[in-house]
Amino acid sequence: MATKKRKKIVWLAVILAVVLVLAAIAVTLIVLGSRTDKIVSTNRVHTSPKPAVKGLVEDAAKTDYVPVAENDHYKLYYYEPRFSIKLEDKRTGAVMESTVSDEKDDGKSNADWTGTMKSGIVLSTIEKTTKYADKINMNTTENKITTWYTDNGIYAEISFDQYGFALGVEVSLIGDELVVRVPEETIQENKEGNYIYTVSVFPFLGYTYLGEQDGYMMIPDGNGALIYLNDKEGRYASGFSGLIYGTDVGITDLVSTSTLWERYETVVDANPVLAPVFGMAHTDDQFAYLGIVESGDERATIEAQPNGARINYNRIYARFLLRDVYNQPLSNSSTANTALTVEADRIHSDLQIRYCLLSGEDADYAGMANAYRNYLLGTGRLEKRNLSYNTRVDVLGSEREEFLMGTTGVPMTTTDQLEDIYAELRREGVANVLTVYRGWQKGGLYDTPITKYKADSDIGGTSALTKLILSEAEQGNTIYLLDDALTINASTNSGTYSAMKKLNKRTFEKEVNGQVYDSFYYLMPDRAGENLADLAQDALRDNIRNMAVTGITGNLFCYSYKGNYYSRTDTMDMFLDAVSEVDANMNLVLETPNQYMWKYADAMLDMPLESSDYLYIDQEIPFLSMVLKGVVPIYSNYVNFEANKTENFLKMVESGAYPSFYVTAEDSSKLIYTNSANLYSLEFDSYRETIAQYDRELRALSELVGTSCILDHEVLDNGLVRVTYENGVRIYVNYTASALSADGVTVDALSYKVGE
Amino acid sequence: MRKLKRLSVLALVLVMAAALFLPMAAMADTPYVTYTINGYGQIRQTQTAYLAYATITKFGEEVTLTAPSDICIASDGHMYIADTGNARIVVGTLDGELIKTVGEGTLVSPRGVFVTDNGNIYVADRDAQMIFVFDQQGNVIQRYGKPTSPLYGDAMGFQPIKIVVNDAGIMFIVCESNTNGIVEISPTEGGTFLGYFGTNYTTTDIMTIIYRAILTDAQRAKMVSNIPATPTNLGIDSKGLIYTVTRGNQNDTLKRLNIAGTNMIHNTDGTYADTPVAVVAGNHDNVYVADQQGYIFEYNNEGEMLFTFGGPNDDTQRVGLSKMVSGIALDTEDRIYVLDSDMAQVQIYEPTEFTNLLHNALYLYSKGRYTEAKEPLSQVLRMNSMFDYANKAMGRSYFQEENYTAALRYARLAKDYDGYSDAYWELRNVWLKNNIMTAILLCVLLFIAYKVIKAMDKRNHILRKPRRAIRKLKQNSFMSNLFYAGYYIRKPNDGAYGIAAEGRANWLVSSFLLLIFMVEYVVMKYTCGFLMKTVMEGRYEILSDVGMILAVMAALTACTYLVCTINEGEGTVKKIYTFFCYSLVPYIILMPVVYALSHILTMNEIFLTNMLEIVIYIWIAVIAVIGLKEVNNFSAKETVKVIFLTAFTALILALLIFIIYVLWAQVFDFIVAIAGEGVYRLGY
Repeated sequence: MATKKRKKIVWLAVILAVVLVLAAIAVTLIVLGSRTDKIVSTNRVHTSPKPAVKGLVEDAAKTDYVPVAENDHYKLYYYEPRFSIKLEDKRTGAVMESTVSDEKDDGKSNADWTGTMKSGIVLSTIEKTTKYADKINMNTTENKITTWYTDNGIYAEISFDQYGFALGVEVSLIGDELVVRVPEETIQENKEGNYIYTVSVFPFLGYTYLGEQDGYMMIPDGNGALIYLNDKEGRYASGFSGLIYGTDVGITDLVSTSTLWERYETVVDANPVLAPVFGMAHTDDQFAYLGIVESGDERATIEAQPNGARINYNRIYARFLLRDVYNQPLSNSSTANTALTVEADRIHSDLQIRYCLLSGEDADYAGMANAYRNYLLGTGRLEKRNLSYNTRVDVLGSEREEFLMGTTGVPMTTTDQLEDIYAELRREGVANVLTVYRGWQKGGLYDTPITKYKADSDIGGTSALTKLILSEAEQGNTIYLLDDALTINASTNSGTYSAMKKLNKRTFEKEVNGQVYDSFYYLMPDRAGENLADLAQDALRDNIRNMAVTGITGNLFCYSYKGNYYSRTDTMDMFLDAVSEVDANMNLVLETPNQYMWKYADAMLDMPLESSDYLYIDQEIPFLSMVLKGVVPIYSNYVNFEANKTENFLKMVESGAYPSFYVTAEDSSKLIYTNSANLYSLEFDSYRETIAQYDRELRALSELVGTSCILDHEVLDNGLVRVTYENGVRIYVNYTASALSADGVTVDALSYKVGE
Repeated sequence: MRKLKRLSVLALVLVMAAALFLPMAAMADTPYVTYTINGYGQIRQTQTAYLAYATITKFGEEVTLTAPSDICIASDGHMYIADTGNARIVVGTLDGELIKTVGEGTLVSPRGVFVTDNGNIYVADRDAQMIFVFDQQGNVIQRYGKPTSPLYGDAMGFQPIKIVVNDAGIMFIVCESNTNGIVEISPTEGGTFLGYFGTNYTTTDIMTIIYRAILTDAQRAKMVSNIPATPTNLGIDSKGLIYTVTRGNQNDTLKRLNIAGTNMIHNTDGTYADTPVAVVAGNHDNVYVADQQGYIFEYNNEGEMLFTFGGPNDDTQRVGLSKMVSGIALDTEDRIYVLDSDMAQVQIYEPTEFTNLLHNALYLYSKGRYTEAKEPLSQVLRMNSMFDYANKAMGRSYFQEENYTAALRYARLAKDYDGYSDAYWELRNVWLKNNIMTAILLCVLLFIAYKVIKAMDKRNHILRKPRRAIRKLKQNSFMSNLFYAGYYIRKPNDGAYGIAAEGRANWLVSSFLLLIFMVEYVVMKYTCGFLMKTVMEGRYEILSDVGMILAVMAALTACTYLVCTINEGEGTVKKIYTFFCYSLVPYIILMPVVYALSHILTMNEIFLTNMLEIVIYIWIAVIAVIGLKEVNNFSAKETVKVIFLTAFTALILALLIFIIYVLWAQVFDFIVAIAGEGVYRLGY
């Protein structure tokens, strides 16, 4: 008995020893292996070479502004010690300066701010171990600067030896445009542990002091908004700061800011910045510019600070984020034990801003919109599309609710029912409908990703869907199949191997607290692209050519995979590759697309018509609508969930957007145990007449304006809004509660009218 | 109604447990989300109820506010603001034009302001310890200091901070650090103290009582004193009813007090503000409460939450969010005026089309004009078909129209148990009226058939064969044991002896009974009548139900066996398991009856099923105890001892599992921490 026991113990010991040895080997291998391939940067590089230089600028530039470039309209001056420029409109004599001049210094700012205000370039830094951030400018930081002439302006190389930083900036005046570029290859971080955090070039270009100038700053919030250049009396501690193309989930920890009863989020996220633009208009001087961030836009913020935000100057600029810090958790209890870590690599893109200079009549936001549209069309970033009017009626196919130990389908709109909906709409006189079929795929709305063209049997199956799409196309109704190409449902898809991991190696998880599904992941961009391509290929086999894409159209993030770091630049390129490949064979409509996606969109869905309601916004303008109207059809958010239907309708009239509805054949109370429980009002029967009415009115309007663009947009003194189209059609919109008139046209309260 | 409360509490707990993040639909056009509550007591998103309409940061050209603390909109359509920091009352129009300022030089620290219909301005001045009454010209026409009545209390200070005045001129005053309640002063004889009004009461929980019993005097003195909370603020409606809000008063946070000081709101949804600062009566039998953090709540006359919206401005600088709310007022167009003392501004919200429809319906409904209310209600439902309050009102309206089928449908949607019960009662009546003759006929026929068969059996023995079959069946060991279970519940003494000594213990039959029990339990839980349902409709957690029953059964058997063995009981695991399973038979037999009743009874008769359930549970308990005694051959005293010991063991077992669970989590966390550290150090 005793020997048997001893034998057992010996065996156990042997097994344990073997396991330990194996574990040790494994750990060693992992450690050694990681040493050898520690962070391989596979970052894509967006760059163009340094300009050819012609000779050093004259010494006079060291003491005062000297002219460095000139054409028929504008003259560019340069002052080297502050790396500052001054732009003069030769026709009017109006001037915009890039640094606060000594005469305009009110002496109320501290030394740091004064140094920043008077510097044409401002950097901030991160120190690797302390994470201490420092600000660098031309005045309070020791620097070396050398400037050469170029064909159209100057090229300067600036170094800050204390930090080991160096970069070159090219400033060119080309026609009515000023182009400022920091070539990627000139950016240097030569001192170990010191990194460039942000770069802003000419952050004070066109600044004004308190309310000295009439005018406004245009920010790309929502559809567009203005901050007036009046005296804000110190009401705002800070201004607008928006990351272009939206929050980066790969680096930002999602924290809910304020919760009711410590449970319910009450504050809605602000609109993402869809277009990399900003504007400054001095309306007294009739001098304005539209800044377009052309390169490096994938990781830059638009900053618009009204007076009173730290200093008494209004200023608007783009700030490039080269490298950021993130939280690396050290334990599973997420709150404690995190280490602030600096990104392994910076983005590798040229930093380039194109300022479209606007003068005279054009020096307003309508001029900015026109300039931007021309720029987009001229550079192929946007193409004129078929603009025929459609009312958009999206349907929800099938959803899932919990049943017994699994889930069961909740069919909301089958293909047969959708056919009936079309028939009823035709009877109401609604001829052309654009439909995004949501939840058509096997497994219902939230069973993502989709890789095959396979319809849910609850809605009638694949062949029924194919038949419906092809037969309705002949009747003038276009059905697009929705593909959220980015999201993975964690419950219906096992394995997170293709899920995107944040920079801190944690899988990004979007918690939604749904009735059925609680969390979702994002796919890695290359996988997202493959899935999209697979689905497209499969659908094409059945001759299905229409797809509505979401997810990858409005999201950018950096991520890590197998020890490699991928930047927003990489993500953007991969998404673009995927969409352009599919676009070659298919008709794509895109949901809330970022600017780089615009050229692939046959139509844009869910475009914001309003701003994010910031306190400092003085006026909302339909900037994006003015840019896109007459080029690409834009569709509003769903009318269903609007509490103020009349005002929302007028917004559509004003911006030329086409209306969107979201309907189901079944009653929406059937959804209350599904993840779509928040869709509280969908049933088609409630919306039949509304759809017909919107269709009648907006179709008529659309026929009047045809394919022309919006030329001008004004809020008249009495509050009436006047929109002028290229073809001369004028639309007057009255949001007030009393009748208003202008140009001999009287518009009833909360109504609109068309004039010539 | 009790059931509903229980349910809603349950649902709320569930929601609490699960809801950290709600799906945020990207459809809102305001910076804040609007929530409502559904029939289960769950907080749900809905259309924007109020839009940020305008912000007043200064009156006229230059009058700005400094730490304002109260706002009142008078019947003259002007806004009166207690501009505390500047020691004055600012009077302005609703769109921010300055009319005048009042009380400069007189007031010290005005905290509360109220204007009566005849234009008298009552100001509660905390530091002057005085109520001032101004006329519209700004002259002081009356002052009321600390009441001299001995009832008021000599030691009690008088620091008035909020005031309302009713039609008779009686003042209701909230005083700082006066915990007796609202001070009620009549204007006669220069101010007569009428007494305290609407006093809050403290509740003493069991822990406090235990503490008090065991602590020493010195320790007791250190305990947080159990003093009732003072109302934070108050409001008055057109009927003279007083509303109060009290911070931290749980379900009594919002009160509506009649002239006798009785609270008429009893709502336990738990949807009150955490830090309420102000309350104002609405125009449609509704009431608004402002939370200091910026949340605005709207309730109906029963204290049910209609909407909550707004929120704190965490430096996001978005319109409609607040930093520190100090007052709320309402104009005749249902616009809400929220005074922010930190931002020194008045934020105005206007109702949306949706809210206006709801208010209209609310008004008609509260006036009993149900049929008229249906039109706006159906529009509300068209905009939001899941707005349960509208479903409820709709159901009630249909009930008034005697369309009971529709009423039943809407009541069920709204989880309106009373409405459902009423509608069901009517429908059942109709059914009975139509079918009573058929039913009686059927009974008579059945009775006759029974008699005939019995008589025929007597003559021809036609039932001989079936009877023989039954007898044969009883001889089958499985069936015989099954029938024995029936015997056991009738005669637990003898039955348990059979289990103990006559080989009646049987794994198979016991497990079969347990299985039937589980099936019945699950069927009952998920498909019983609506009025008895304790789970949300459409929710199924069958796996966990079954797992739970099995776990409890296993733990119970194990614990009992362990305890009995060391107490020299004679029971084996098999025997103990058998008698436990057999003890479930009353449930198995009677639950189908309860199940059937749950489908045909209304709220008034539902006590029948509750009673039946009680009978079942007592029966089970009694036979289980007797079984325990007999199977182990214990005396009565030993049995009691063993029961306590078993309970104790079960507790220990639970504790053990908990400890292991916690420790395991720790170990797991430790491993993850090491890995995390490695990842960080190695730069992975």
